Amino acid sequence: MRTRRLAAALAAVAFIAVGCGSEPESAQTAGRAGIPEASKPSRWKATLEPVSFDSWQEELHSLQGQIVVVDMWATWCLPCIERFPHMVELANEFANQGVEFVSLCLDDRDDADAIELATEFLTEQKATFPNYLMDEVVTHAFEKLDLLGIPAVFIYGPDGVLRYRLTGDDPNNQYTDADVADAIEELLAAG
Amino acid sequence: MNLRGLILATSILTLVVVPVALHAGEYNAVVEIGAPMPQFSDLPATDGTSLSYADLEEEVVILVFLANHCPWVKGMDPDLIELGEAIQSDNVRIIGVSVNHREDDRMPAMKKHGAEAGYNFTYIYDESQQLGRELGATRTPEYYVFDKDRELVYMGLLHNSPASKRQDGTINYTEGDPTQFYVADAVKALLAGQEITVAETRAHGCSVEYAQN
Repeated sequence: MRTRRLAAALAAVAFIAVGCGSEPESAQTAGRAGIPEASKPSRWKATLEPVSFDSWQEELHSLQGQIVVVDMWATWCLPCIERFPHMVELANEFANQGVEFVSLCLDDRDDADAIELATEFLTEQKATFPNYLMDEVVTHAFEKLDLLGIPAVFIYGPDGVLRYRLTGDDPNNQYTDADVADAIEELLAAG
Repeated sequence: MNLRGLILATSILTLVVVPVALHAGEYNAVVEIGAPMPQFSDLPATDGTSLSYADLEEEVVILVFLANHCPWVKGMDPDLIELGEAIQSDNVRIIGVSVNHREDDRMPAMKKHGAEAGYNFTYIYDESQQLGRELGATRTPEYYVFDKDRELVYMGLLHNSPASKRQDGTINYTEGDPTQFYVADAVKALLAGQEITVAETRAHGCSVEYAQN
């Protein structure tokens, strides 16, 4: 049953990945970053670090000095699953440019199956950046983050100030994948 | 919350408010309470009929945005159906609306899901997405209650404990048993000619995806 669920989730991802040609690009980028694909541990496994809302603020603070891109997602959010590979691509593309990618999972912290699925998904995606799990009742997390929905991408400047809040809150102005890259480029250009 | 957290939270809030220049509710980028129900015509329903704004004769109309694929919709389906049963004898109508373009939210899947879940209300598909756009509906399930003049009197959650259906089929209520029934209370107040005490809540669920130009 579990394998079937993961397979279903990953099938969607594989479809996107194949469609975007992300696999080869990721591998090439990793090569450019000086980490030969073959030398990576073959059994690397993603971990989800639980954070309360307050400790999440501290984590963000600790990342100051870099541009920080936060992808907010959950396994129950199919658009999140479909868009996640693009974040991994961007993380590889902007590697070593002073841009830190992190993911913040908004699955139900008490749902062991969902957390396991999320970890398997991150592993499959080779999401080697820091991956956090919001350790709050999920609706409380949305309130504290002032989120209406996910996927959402928050981008902080090196000064720690939230510069871009990319959401789907306005039906006539929902963010696109291109908006994420554009926002990062603009922040990099601003120095 | 420590000082740093407060500063960050404040900066988040500042940025949230500034870009939204439209008339908007507290949790809605497009409409506020008092907004008129958008006109719509000939939207196909799962029962083979079609529905237009002009067909609505009831004193109270509830529009609820749904998505078959969404665990929060599935988790809340039993409560929505219970609401349908509770208002059966009243002059109230529930209309489910699907606007997503993904295959599992389109009409064939709507028919299947509505039948399996036991939907006891009209369930329409708006491929144009116009109804959702005009109401700023970005989550499923998200409720909009209109009075006899078709003015918006409530929008947001069904009740105060959003529920999701887990992979193992169980339903998990985020806040335990619901204690505040916002939609039912709004309907009761309207029918009794009383003031609605909670007019807007933060809807929670899956995001609605709109085609972007």
